[in-house]
Amino acid sequence: MHSDQPSATDSPADMHDGVDDAALATVMRRVPLGAGVLAGAAVALLVLGYLLIYLLVFIPRGTVG
Amino acid sequence: MTERQPEMHERRILGNELLWSFGVGVLIAATLSVIVFTALTMGINPPSNVERVDPKVLHLSGEFTEHNLGTSVAADGSVTARIIATQFMFVPRCIAVPHGRPVTLRFAAPDVIHGILITGTNVNTMVVPGFVAQVHTQFTRSGDLLMPCHEYCGLGHSEMWATVQVLPESAFQPDRDGRVSCAQR
Repeated sequence: MHSDQPSATDSPADMHDGVDDAALATVMRRVPLGAGVLAGAAVALLVLGYLLIYLLVFIPRGTVG
Repeated sequence: MTERQPEMHERRILGNELLWSFGVGVLIAATLSVIVFTALTMGINPPSNVERVDPKVLHLSGEFTEHNLGTSVAADGSVTARIIATQFMFVPRCIAVPHGRPVTLRFAAPDVIHGILITGTNVNTMVVPGFVAQVHTQFTRSGDLLMPCHEYCGLGHSEMWATVQVLPESAFQPDRDGRVSCAQR
């Protein structure tokens, strides 16, 4: 189906989003830090939950094998 | 944007990804180490007994005949409970076990695949026809624990459950034949 609206399949070179290169470069310098903090916090919570369940639930339930 | 900036960005991104990969590798290694450490020092590991039994003659001969089911204490003091899992009940319906002593649970099924867990403990295994499912454990608290079938085995699956009665040492008294039954309450 053809449409006059731009789509994700259009070449990036054909599109103008109003963001100049300098602003883009500034954002790109800061984004990895934010992504790292977000992913790190998520993984830290996951590991914390694992350790709490392991130490407070799994171990006290006794041996099995 | 100058010519060098994209290259610097790519290096920074690559550095971040390598750092993240290293962190994830450390986490995976730590998790595996905890599992191995627990298995070696505390004896906590998945039941891995492979022992065949003929499901067609389960009730006719061998250790799973009716008179041999339930809990028995051997001459050396070891405690073994033998249980049949069948559609849609456990035989016996109540299993008496001692508190704080090693117990061996042995299960067999004559019909379809069942599974058991004992609530509040780490006991959890499948019971497959043709094999003896064996679990070694030690109960850490007294009281009645629910043992439901946790593998769908037919229309009566939800009615298939038994009770594991964990008795204090003083109440766990075998009879002359070394057998222990649940206390009547």
